[in-house]
Amino acid sequence: MNIYIGAENIISPLGSTAEENFGALSKNSSGIKKTEAAGFDKKSIFFSRFAENTNDFSFDALLKNCLKNVRSKISPDIFSSEKTLLILSTTKGDIKSENVNPIGKSVSELQNSFELKHAPIVVSNACASGVIAINTAANFIRAGVYETIIVAGCDVISDFVTYGFECLFAISDKPCAPFDKNRTGITLGEGCAAVVLSSHKTIFNVEPMRFIEGTSGNDANHISGPSRTGEGLYRTVKKTLELAGITEKDIDFISAHGTATVFNDDMESVAFDRLNMQHIPLNSLKGYYGHTLGAAGIIETAICLQSMRNNTLIKSMGFEEEGTVKKINIISENKKLSLETVLKTSSGFGGVNASLLLKKS
Amino acid sequence: MENLKEELKKQIIEQLNLEDITPADIKNDAPLFGDGLGLDSIDALELIVLLEKFHGVKITNPEDGRKIFSSIDSMAEYITKAKA
Amino acid sequence: MNHLSSYCHISTKEIVTDKGALLFDNTEGLEVNDFLKTVYKKLAIDYPKFYKMDSLSKAAFLGVELLKKENAALAEYADDEIALLFANSNASEDTDKKFVNSYAEEHAPSPSLFVYTLPSILMGELAIRNKWYGESLFVILQKFDAAFFADYCNMILLRNAKACICGWIEITEGKTEAFIFLAEKNGNENNTPLTKQTIEKIYKTIMKQSRPSKV
Repeated sequence: MNIYIGAENIISPLGSTAEENFGALSKNSSGIKKTEAAGFDKKSIFFSRFAENTNDFSFDALLKNCLKNVRSKISPDIFSSEKTLLILSTTKGDIKSENVNPIGKSVSELQNSFELKHAPIVVSNACASGVIAINTAANFIRAGVYETIIVAGCDVISDFVTYGFECLFAISDKPCAPFDKNRTGITLGEGCAAVVLSSHKTIFNVEPMRFIEGTSGNDANHISGPSRTGEGLYRTVKKTLELAGITEKDIDFISAHGTATVFNDDMESVAFDRLNMQHIPLNSLKGYYGHTLGAAGIIETAICLQSMRNNTLIKSMGFEEEGTVKKINIISENKKLSLETVLKTSSGFGGVNASLLLKKS
Repeated sequence: MENLKEELKKQIIEQLNLEDITPADIKNDAPLFGDGLGLDSIDALELIVLLEKFHGVKITNPEDGRKIFSSIDSMAEYITKAKA
Repeated sequence: MNHLSSYCHISTKEIVTDKGALLFDNTEGLEVNDFLKTVYKKLAIDYPKFYKMDSLSKAAFLGVELLKKENAALAEYADDEIALLFANSNASEDTDKKFVNSYAEEHAPSPSLFVYTLPSILMGELAIRNKWYGESLFVILQKFDAAFFADYCNMILLRNAKACICGWIEITEGKTEAFIFLAEKNGNENNTPLTKQTIEKIYKTIMKQSRPSKV
């Protein structure tokens, strides 16, 4: 069975459609800016965040607007079909200090406003949530449980998450610089994105790509520190390639995780080196979007689809000088290249890693 | 100084949830990390919180923690100096 | 045909398994974290990291230790053949509140609490404890959904795993509920088939059996 993926959309500080977002990346514009007095001790912090004081960018509004756009890109009756499911990927939903369990309400509202036949499922697998949500969707379609699954990812910046990463000393004091020698940590970001997976090619208004395979794997090492050997990432990529029946030689581009912490980026370089993928062009989009947590995997997959449609590799923003344990091929300027097969990876707390393969249909 | 060291041991056991360990099990000069108490990188960050919360001493660079948290002796010494 | 080989149920009152045995009875009416610690001590496991876990991870950890005790065959699987599927309706609400308290009330955001404000961390703890490198998924559902567990398990057992440890695990103020079961591809004929109906039936039975609180 072929599984198709398309109808992608992104709402981020860089634009409110996938096309606007890709246009901004093509100009190497970043959404990262300094916010005064945002930290626990009122210090200024770099974020990729929406203009404040408007309800247009609340967690619920982002999802609603993003899904409305997606609905206009596929056959009109799909959302309310018995054979359609909505999967939501998020780490903390609309978390506020005074309300720590806000996901249930958002989910019910989405089900009502889009007249969905089934209650949406929320995937919460730390920073690998997005890729795992897409893989789960593909597995459900392959097993014949659903025919079409809309996968949306959203996370917004909150005091809760900011203070959390601050006390882990994980936030960079400058815009994050993935894979760069002088990287010092993450920049938090917010945004929302969605893609549609379906066994029916004809539901897409614009030609979709193909989802080939996707798996996850655990480091079994530490709950917050990445594995020094990149074990989980190595295993999930290896398994994904095996199931797809292809080798690293077939991959044209890797959309990596690249959070810009010292240990994460080193871990990825080790894993890709072990996989003989050190020569494959690779980027991280965190230098444009910051780390959007549960939305990251969906935003980055949507950009992969755009890169494939435009046959364009996007420069890994923030990278200037090599400085990972193993040398990898980081994209230093935008360039045209025919992209047939693309690998997307993510890693997160809990030692979780995930990967998926996309191909032109 | 001895009082401070005993206090630190109790606080470490409490804050890091070291249930099976008593203050008497922690030697003043024994390494806190590595095999000793089985502490890890999150414990190191929690010790930074402990110093600020109970002793009013702030560490801004976690790298400094490595030396300061090498033993109860070094922690007590650091606190005493910082408050002097 | 895939099978549901074994299960256990943890509540604030007791821990029971499918063999019908009441393993631990919280007659003293201990608070959940203390009850779980008592059980850990009675099982004589040497794993000091247990004490550092949040209650969700502690409950999942003990549930899996009990499944391992009753299913020796679990040790026979390769290190990436066991998948993990956990779900609840409240994510990490209990720990989220504690983390908010650490910064809003105590003015000292706690790193060790923050790392547990993702419910999926419990699967990381299981992976570390057991050296399992396989698939893992955590989902938030509005309520227990036997169909979801059956659909996902049967799907993941097709190609990605040979066994799947599943759990519905909720710990919120005053409520503790963990239903943890083992699904296997190669169960024997006497095992329960892995279907929506059988999972539903077991879940209802254990909920009914749960005796009223003595506290």
